[in-house]
Amino acid sequence: MSVEWTLLYMLIFPGFLFLMFYGMICEWVDRKLFARFQNRVGPPWFQPEADFIKLLSKEVIIPEAADKLMFRLLPILSIAAVLTAFMYIPVWSTKAIFPFEGDLVVVFYLLTIPTLSLFLAGWNSTSLFSTLGSVRNLTQLFAYEVPLLLSLLGPGLLAGTWSISGINEFFLQHPEMLAVNFIGFLVALVALQGKLERVPFDIPEAETEIVAGSLTEFGGRLMALFRLTTDLELVVVAALVSAIFLGGSFGLHPVLGFVLFIAKTLLIVAILTVFRTVMARVRMEQMMRFSWKYLAPIALIQLFVNIIMKAYFL
Amino acid sequence: MLKKLVKWARVKSPWILHFNTGACNACDIEILAALTPRFDLERFGVQLKATPRHADVILCSGPVTKQAKDRLTRIYEQMPEPKFVVAVGTCAISGGVFDGCYNVEGGIDSTIPVAAYIPGCPASPEAIIDGVVKLLERIDQPEHFQEARPVYIGEGESK
Repeated sequence: MSVEWTLLYMLIFPGFLFLMFYGMICEWVDRKLFARFQNRVGPPWFQPEADFIKLLSKEVIIPEAADKLMFRLLPILSIAAVLTAFMYIPVWSTKAIFPFEGDLVVVFYLLTIPTLSLFLAGWNSTSLFSTLGSVRNLTQLFAYEVPLLLSLLGPGLLAGTWSISGINEFFLQHPEMLAVNFIGFLVALVALQGKLERVPFDIPEAETEIVAGSLTEFGGRLMALFRLTTDLELVVVAALVSAIFLGGSFGLHPVLGFVLFIAKTLLIVAILTVFRTVMARVRMEQMMRFSWKYLAPIALIQLFVNIIMKAYFL
Repeated sequence: MLKKLVKWARVKSPWILHFNTGACNACDIEILAALTPRFDLERFGVQLKATPRHADVILCSGPVTKQAKDRLTRIYEQMPEPKFVVAVGTCAISGGVFDGCYNVEGGIDSTIPVAAYIPGCPASPEAIIDGVVKLLERIDQPEHFQEARPVYIGEGESK
């Protein structure tokens, strides 16, 4: 692969530029649907862009007690991690741009970097609310991480590979196996709400309790980058779930495959929005109990089913 | 060109902070009523933010009491530039019935510069929305917003 093509892939399509705009569209879809569910009109389509540009143009205030360099670096770090993760997820075909054996695990751990940098950002702000928010951030990480990884490993086990592109290729040959992973799909969707810190698991940024969580002290450009990270994370995670549980592009023509990609990610965003609308925030210990008592065992059942399927039906 | 874009974005996405400087709560209830799904301020891009660091517009209700003065100044200073202050209700404009009390400084403009005045006792949600929208239409000199003429809502509009 030549350098120009690599740069094009990384920076324009399906890299940074495309992902940025698509992330904002996804945020708009999310907010608009949320508003329509509440019988409101909702924001116009350019709302996320306007928010982003406005935040970019605002003054940046860094608390005196905070480490200046870290305060500026953390948003960039988290955005870079999410962008890197997207390089290993197939978009228009069953093959990602830079696939390799084991990229599922790499993507999974790259996606924890935004959470970690959010924790560091809040901790570094030294304000009471942001410290509380970041502690909750980490606590929540322990709740959703295990069910999410278990549910993502189910299809990997079935396909006998740890590569997202490989899993996609497998489902191309055995589309009937998609139905087997339905339980894992549901578990992944619920765990994703925790990962993306949305209602009912928006405990780290519970605005009625701890102001804005880890981002309390962030304003202007740095806040804009963190918001963009959240949007990108939504897209990347939706693309990951669509590639692993919904069969990705099914090996169609690249254009059709791309349309399918958009349709599937939007569907997942819509499902996540429904979750967000119909539920209220739970407490931290309730979430812990739910994740460890119900979500993780259900994901284990899915693994067990997959092992049986692999032994007898494949 | 870039300036125009930034101005457009600023008008389309005002995030507000609500601060009670000593009101009787009536104006606060009306502000909250304006944020309910019935009036749906999100269609203008308005979002209620909990921290001054995220906010562009601060909605102040009530006269500034001597206790609240320091807090108000501090919150105002915590907001990143450019920022706009909206005085909601008669008390926030002049002190209202509380003017002259031993513990009252006066209106919001006795402490911080105000960009828009919304009268009413209490100011109705429609008036608050009208005031914020008019303020946004008038953001023409974002660099010198403190010298810009404030916006008056109600009788004898736009002096």
